[in-house]
Amino acid sequence: MSSVAAASPYALGADRAAAGVEEYNFDIVKKFTIMTLVWAVVGMSVGVYIASELAWPFLNFGIPYIEFGRFRPVHTTSVILGFGGSALFATSYYIVQRTCQARLISDFAASFTFWGWQACVILADASYMMGHTTSREYAEMEWPLALLILVVWVVYMNLFIGTIMRRKQPHIYVANWFYLAFILAVAILHVFNHLAIPVSMFSMKSYSLFSGVQDAMTQWWYGHNMVGFYLTAAFLGMMYYFVPKQAGRPIYSYRLSIVHFWALAFMYMWVGAHHLHWTALPDWTSTLAATFSILLLMPSWGGMINGIMTLSGAWDKLRTDPVMRFMIVALSFYGMSTFEGPMMALKEVNALSHYTNWTVGHVHSGALGWVAMISFGSLYHLIPKLWNTRLYSVRLAAVHFWLATIGIVLYIVAMWISGITQGLMWRAYDQFGNLQYSFIESVAAIHPFYVMRMIGGVFFLSGVLVMVFNVTMTILQGKREERQALAAGGLAGAGV
Amino acid sequence: MSQNPSQQSQQAVQTTGHVWDGDLQEFNNPLPTWWVYTFFATIIFAIGYWLIYPAWPIGNTYTRGFDTITYVDKAGQKVTSHWNTRALLMEDMNKATAFQKPFFDKVMATPYEQIAKDPELENFVMATGHSLFENNCASCHQTGGQGLVGHYPNLTDDDWLYGGHYAQIAYTITDGRHGYMPTFGEVLEPAQIDDLANYVASLSGIPADPAKVAAGKHLFHSDTAGCFYCHGEQATGRHVIGAPNLTDQIWLWADVPAHRTAQGKIEAIRKVIYNGVNKGVMPAWGDRLSPVDIKVLTFYVHNLGGGQ
Repeated sequence: MSSVAAASPYALGADRAAAGVEEYNFDIVKKFTIMTLVWAVVGMSVGVYIASELAWPFLNFGIPYIEFGRFRPVHTTSVILGFGGSALFATSYYIVQRTCQARLISDFAASFTFWGWQACVILADASYMMGHTTSREYAEMEWPLALLILVVWVVYMNLFIGTIMRRKQPHIYVANWFYLAFILAVAILHVFNHLAIPVSMFSMKSYSLFSGVQDAMTQWWYGHNMVGFYLTAAFLGMMYYFVPKQAGRPIYSYRLSIVHFWALAFMYMWVGAHHLHWTALPDWTSTLAATFSILLLMPSWGGMINGIMTLSGAWDKLRTDPVMRFMIVALSFYGMSTFEGPMMALKEVNALSHYTNWTVGHVHSGALGWVAMISFGSLYHLIPKLWNTRLYSVRLAAVHFWLATIGIVLYIVAMWISGITQGLMWRAYDQFGNLQYSFIESVAAIHPFYVMRMIGGVFFLSGVLVMVFNVTMTILQGKREERQALAAGGLAGAGV
Repeated sequence: MSQNPSQQSQQAVQTTGHVWDGDLQEFNNPLPTWWVYTFFATIIFAIGYWLIYPAWPIGNTYTRGFDTITYVDKAGQKVTSHWNTRALLMEDMNKATAFQKPFFDKVMATPYEQIAKDPELENFVMATGHSLFENNCASCHQTGGQGLVGHYPNLTDDDWLYGGHYAQIAYTITDGRHGYMPTFGEVLEPAQIDDLANYVASLSGIPADPAKVAAGKHLFHSDTAGCFYCHGEQATGRHVIGAPNLTDQIWLWADVPAHRTAQGKIEAIRKVIYNGVNKGVMPAWGDRLSPVDIKVLTFYVHNLGGGQ
């Protein structure tokens, strides 16, 4: 069976037929892989720019298209849907084919999801810059684009489930459970959050079906479950394939994977309201959200334990293998942010952390530390396999690892300090019961940390640029070797 | 792909026997004990939280939780309710209001001149004034009240456009102000405006062309330009209409400090004479702040600039 893994998808058809090798659709995986890196560069560059705008507002230059309010959703959409989405499409197509021993059921549908998804991200970014927005966080795209995403998503779901149904394995591998949960949950979230009535057939503008506190509740039910199912469950799927593959060790505990999978799937749906503590939301709703966030702690850590303990018996790999390091550090950040999250979801802690940069730091310890790092690790494993070669430079991967890690630490520390500073300044009273500080004084106090955060972003982005170079060289090397092999193989074939 | 784990019975921990993609396997380790117990602990914590706070919806109502809050409602009645954010706010506001009330009562009963004689009261007024100023006034006058040349007056110098007595400051805050100077570009020749700019510059000791200064001085006091109507015979301004004193070195509209050369400074003055001023609007706060807040702010602002 391991011959399947080793076989190049570009082997000659006759050879493949002769060897009885299952042919997988790796072309689609390659396309999404390349776009993952393109969106990483685009999304993170925009991220560094808007971080600079916060530190030095003159960088808005009075140009409406690039001002912070419009550019920020361009950043979030490019990294979440562009970078994260492409990484998930690439890895899910790769994993589902290899663990089911079945080719994707339709090449056309796969291709459609690729072009459709890229169009969604590009058009969404362009529409934000033009000023179109629903103003729903992480779902700012107006109704025509929301519909386009829905169509792509339904095709994706059919393709994924259809491929699983064609599997030649009796059991569905754990990674596929997570991808399935992700695909199903995102479909539900996307539909309900985007229920809206357009102003007219030819207007981009639409109004949400919900209003007031229900609107806020729907928005954050969507928002936090995107974190839960898109940024967590799906990337856990990635982790469950690439960590044991890279470590060459079995998954630590099948039982744990079952328990934490179902616990995550059940509990995440309750917690969105912790984004709305101390608002017009009913108090009981916010209590439930806080407690289910606490209950989520151990199920989340189940994934971390399963990933990290998979390496037990092969710890020495951390010293020599930067790809493994990416994965283990990603799991550590996952553990850290899933501890921090439930704490921030408690009413009393939230009273300090809400509306501050602490939240921004928390999101990025998850987004950079977990989502991006596990994706980098997985891509470093995946790309040489796809192009049937080895990584161009392991040393550059190590450089990338350190640039990324330093960047994350700078970013999170800056946001922790500035967030807690904001929270404390906003609630500070003098001896006579008056507010001690004005808002603008809290803005002035955090300026140095805005600069520090921007520097952290530059570190992270330069790491990505190193990776892009490394990957480009790897692909070129793979193509060169393929040409040489074809030339040699052609001669040998003539001999046979 | 065997389902029978006994094949690996030699190993301390067995895999499930499933194999995917060549080498993907799963051990079947039991759940870590600490993990299980911590999970139980979070469940107990959650139940505790549910017992304290409003938590589970039941039909049209919800479990109230055991924690209670007592506060005084708007009608003055003492109310005890289950823990909720509204009651918590009322309780906090009650406490703060009760704490500050004696101070505010004393402020209302004490004439401005007497406030400084009571150190504790003065401390209260300055602290409260600072808070009120930072949250209402600083968006224009800047934190600290230093203003912004070309836009908002500096309140920390002892130059007062509308007067620096308590009553004048209170009037300014309550009813607002609207500073205005006509556009002289429409009625005077460019050379005349240039002469006036040189004269006004000379009043503040900025080196200027003597011939132009002389011509400007004449114009200033003539009916052609009529500058003295508002700025006064001595060019020292008039508080009643907010006409600034031109003989000090304090500038509000003409950005004189930004220029290093005399020529640049004179040009900045020339621009203001040419364009006039029609943006010196301060809103009226009488409907937005309570009388005692305005009294506190008046004392605070008076103190900022040394007052009159």
